[in-house]
Amino acid sequence: MNWLIAATETGPPVHITPSPLFEIGSWQITNSVLYGWIVGLILIVALVSAAFRSRVHPKSGFVQIVEAGTEFIVDLLKNSLGSRAKAIKYAPYFAAIFFFIALSNLLGLLPVIGESFTVGGNPAFRPFTADLNGTLAASLVSLALVQYFAIRESGPVRHLRHYFAGNLKNPLTYVAGIYELFGEIVRLFSLALRLFLNIAIGEIIISVFAYLGKFAAPITALPFLGLEVGVAVLQAYIFVMLTVTYLSLAIKHSDNSDHEFEDTLVHTMHSQKVAK
Amino acid sequence: MWYLAELTGNVEVIGKGLMLGAGMIGPGIGVGLIGNAFMNAVGRNPESAKFLGQILVFVAIVELMALLVFASLFIIK
Repeated sequence: MNWLIAATETGPPVHITPSPLFEIGSWQITNSVLYGWIVGLILIVALVSAAFRSRVHPKSGFVQIVEAGTEFIVDLLKNSLGSRAKAIKYAPYFAAIFFFIALSNLLGLLPVIGESFTVGGNPAFRPFTADLNGTLAASLVSLALVQYFAIRESGPVRHLRHYFAGNLKNPLTYVAGIYELFGEIVRLFSLALRLFLNIAIGEIIISVFAYLGKFAAPITALPFLGLEVGVAVLQAYIFVMLTVTYLSLAIKHSDNSDHEFEDTLVHTMHSQKVAK
Repeated sequence: MWYLAELTGNVEVIGKGLMLGAGMIGPGIGVGLIGNAFMNAVGRNPESAKFLGQILVFVAIVELMALLVFASLFIIK
């Protein structure tokens, strides 16, 4: 039982918050922001080069992966919004955020991320999505864009009537409207927390099992590493899926909002399967 | 000051244990219900086995609660 006691004494490296690395002016640069910049740079270079190398019959494997991912997002949008024209109109943002989250999650599983490189005792790199600031920014931008798209699609008054639906002389309408507006904040935090917790806890679980394994760390951590590869792509899919569902709800004009979310989600996923 | 009972020693561990145990009940039931519904659906109509990917989405939604509890382990002192 010696190893159990040893585990409680020192413990595996567990980080919930990012650590500051250096400062530019008065801006503190943390390890997750640095990692986010690197992933953003890689993504820009990769996607722009894929866009230039894209042909009717693509030859290289990388371009095919990008095309398959983009087509997947366009399909998702088409099933959710109704027409392919609308899907292509909204596809650029959703494809970009899908690739960014997936790449950020997947690169976070590389050995160089974490404790292997340290600056002043802190890890030099930390996955951007394993930082609540990062995921909160991602969901804030996503939901702000959903609001922007909805206002552009239906005008500010009709968009507000989406929340305050019903008779305006009835005070209950306002109560329900404020409740709906509060629901937007809940959406924001549930999107951010889901992504953050899945990735951050994945990192913690890998680190705990690598620590408990001691000399057999590669064997004990490997199953969880494999699990995290699945979680990485699944979480990117879920983030985009839920954002698209919110968008389709916001630009759809319907009077009864009861069970609308579940209906749209199930309908979207069902028709996606049928389309395949 | 008069106490009904006093806890001494490593109280933090008891608190964390209670939190983890109580907090995992809900998500456990939730994921169980999803699995139950899926297996029922597959039993009635074997074609519906293709919806496994969709089931994972709903599992991830329920899983958020369990992850919140798990993350609190490292946050509370």
